[in-house]
Amino acid sequence: MTGEPSATGVAAGLRVLDFTWFGVGPITTKYLADNGAEVIKVESRRHPDGLRLAPPFASPAGINRSQYYGNFNSSKKSITIDMTTPAGRELVRQLIPHCDVVAESFRVGTMDRWDLGYEQLRQIRPDVIYYATCLQGQTGPRAGFAGFGMQLAAIAGLYYLSGYSPEELTPPHGPYTDFIAPRFGCFALLAALDHRRRTGEGQLIDLSQYESTLQFLAPGLTHYFATGEVARPAGNRSPRYAPHGAYRCRDESGRERWIALAVEDDQQWSATLTVLGAATGAISGPDVGTGPPELAAQADRLARPDETDDYVSGLTRQRNAGELAAALQQAGVAAYPVQNCADLRSDENLQAFGFFRELEQAECGSMPYDGLAYRLGRTPGQQSAAPNLGQHTDEVLSCLLGLSAAQIQALRDDNVLY
Amino acid sequence: MAGAGPLHGYRVLDLAGELAVLAGKMFADLGADVIAVEPPGGSPMRRIPPFLSEPEAAGPEDSCYFQAMAAGKRSAVLDLARPPGRDLLCRLADTADFLIESFPAGHLDALGLSYEVLAARNPRLIYTSVTPFGDRGPGASWRAADIVGWAAGGMMAMMGAPGRPPLQVSVPQAFSHAGSEAAVASMLAHLERERSGRGQHVLISMQAAGVWATNAETAFPVLENRSLARTGFIPAGMRRASVYRCADGYVQLMIGGGMFLSTTLGLLEWRRESGPLPKAVATIDFAAWTPDRYTDPGFQVELAACDAVISDLLLRLPKAEIARRSDDSGWVVAPVATMADVASDRQLAARDFYQRVNHPGLNRDLELVGPFARLSGSPAPPARRAPMLGEHTADVMSADIGLTAKDIRALELAGVVGLAGTAVYR
Repeated sequence: MTGEPSATGVAAGLRVLDFTWFGVGPITTKYLADNGAEVIKVESRRHPDGLRLAPPFASPAGINRSQYYGNFNSSKKSITIDMTTPAGRELVRQLIPHCDVVAESFRVGTMDRWDLGYEQLRQIRPDVIYYATCLQGQTGPRAGFAGFGMQLAAIAGLYYLSGYSPEELTPPHGPYTDFIAPRFGCFALLAALDHRRRTGEGQLIDLSQYESTLQFLAPGLTHYFATGEVARPAGNRSPRYAPHGAYRCRDESGRERWIALAVEDDQQWSATLTVLGAATGAISGPDVGTGPPELAAQADRLARPDETDDYVSGLTRQRNAGELAAALQQAGVAAYPVQNCADLRSDENLQAFGFFRELEQAECGSMPYDGLAYRLGRTPGQQSAAPNLGQHTDEVLSCLLGLSAAQIQALRDDNVLY
Repeated sequence: MAGAGPLHGYRVLDLAGELAVLAGKMFADLGADVIAVEPPGGSPMRRIPPFLSEPEAAGPEDSCYFQAMAAGKRSAVLDLARPPGRDLLCRLADTADFLIESFPAGHLDALGLSYEVLAARNPRLIYTSVTPFGDRGPGASWRAADIVGWAAGGMMAMMGAPGRPPLQVSVPQAFSHAGSEAAVASMLAHLERERSGRGQHVLISMQAAGVWATNAETAFPVLENRSLARTGFIPAGMRRASVYRCADGYVQLMIGGGMFLSTTLGLLEWRRESGPLPKAVATIDFAAWTPDRYTDPGFQVELAACDAVISDLLLRLPKAEIARRSDDSGWVVAPVATMADVASDRQLAARDFYQRVNHPGLNRDLELVGPFARLSGSPAPPARRAPMLGEHTADVMSADIGLTAKDIRALELAGVVGLAGTAVYR
């Protein structure tokens, strides 16, 4: 560890030089930053992280005001170096001895052309850990494919498995694989750090976002290879649960509400019927707790999913989604309201977990941030807001490289720090 | 190139169910010794489809889910419902670096296997609990199913068509987000343990892990007072994904300015090879397609005209031809791949991604997905098959706890442990 462990958190003392942008790379290094590592993000006005230009913004919009950028770059520092200048690249080379990890998510070959690839950097710092991530990996015929998580979700098979039927595909929202790959990347990075601790050796990590995403599809791929059966989009159907899906509840404030639920066996079915029937009075007499005889057994419901859905929908339509989910869970049935993003903001379980945060951003003041999905009981770390573009340029160059104010000003005048 | 893996030498006690099974898999992939503790009768995950056989005839090794998600792990069958079984687990935890579990809230505490109990014996232990909805809210003891996690995390509300139900992805997602988050958080705790010598209790919320998949949409309600609803197919747009039908399937692409302009122009040029473009498209001044005009109605009309022409072009072309031309031209166009396409993808083949293992219990080979990361200095070990029921119980009991063959036999007779070959699947 080359840094001064002044910050708190499990990664305190670790320093990362972070060239990544958009989703996967920044989310990867964010795990370290939120836990005390000094993550120094290298950007420039010529080449800012593209998310700095994307909504939502703290009004009015501006390069330091994107919450989209902020959310993936909390707790980091920002320095502005124009990497297209030789002097800028020389500054980076001088920073390398101070850094445990270098991370980049450029198109394959970019860092090599700047003489900043792994082979070059290990000459400067032999134990450097170099984390390179791109959509399809650093080698192979499509190593240079430039795209986003939407393209990769299609390439990796997730789009085809998203829809009511093969004729009605409706993909998952956004650049979905951007939220799968970082965990695999960060796990590999943490393992490489441990390897360095044990052996003193650094290394290159080639994180293919494609190969990471396929870990989520591993059972289906093994099945395809063994049987030749091509999995098809199946709406909300399940081979194990019935009923299984999203069912319309009572509208709230003029807006549709739905409940997701999954019934695993006959005991849960009986409990579901009791909860659904008790309040509506829709089921009475001998049917209480059993429902229609043709849907009585799990095998019947699995064989007649449409009838099962219709029957359940008829019983949920007038119910409040939140109350119904709580009642079903009380009876031992997995259920939750289908939460949209506004619902999440007031979700009691996320609140109790302390998920959403308000962090003081240098230009915007208080900004909403997503928090952590994990809690390290003894060493919680401390999350802070994302940096302004170049907020830490002077600090980093003077502290790590010992540059004087005059030297820094000269570099600024030459548009090296830009 | 394969090696022992960067996590060689660490032991993970994997008590997780499907909510967190991926965590232990990730540890195994990088070389850790992961002991999956199965109850007598076998892990419920051995009953999860898809199967190699007809579902009714499926035996303990026939689940592709289990074969994939338990690959590289060892199996010890141990009855935690009995005090001697719990004692054995305590002794195993004394030898472990990590313990990962996803039981219902309070289950392990009631068995005397809480973090506090195990940490008092082994202060280095990192004990990771994966919960559906955290440990403090009204849902602390609620159940999860994958679709319920997808709904609770916000993704479901944004997927599907208006007027029809919100949708899941047809293979599990929410649990995998939770499991992979657990692996990362456990390793974060490990980073500090190697300095302090102290483990800790790590807690995961599946719901919160799922929120992280929403592409930061959660701030829109605060900053712009809006929340995305499901909108089905979107013909074109900067923040949404687009799917176009082609002759034999679908392709994904975006029509627009900025980073999508060269793809848009390339596809229009391709269309022009078979005849002149309609006037509505031919007269567009693409230099004026700048981001500040994206909400301009005139721009939207131009976008729609391009969309119509490109949609028509793609309908006549097979998926593979579109993908090949796009690859050669550097366009941002992606085939909507099926499992068959992914299985035969030349990019993956060039990287030797898939790995074949022999399974003696099935008397056949299986193909498994390969490593998620390529590490130059400490490569992942070759893929290893999933364990058979109780395959390693005796090894673990003798080598790691120091029991004699006689002790183990007595425990088996008492039904506390299950051994390879004789453990009963039910």
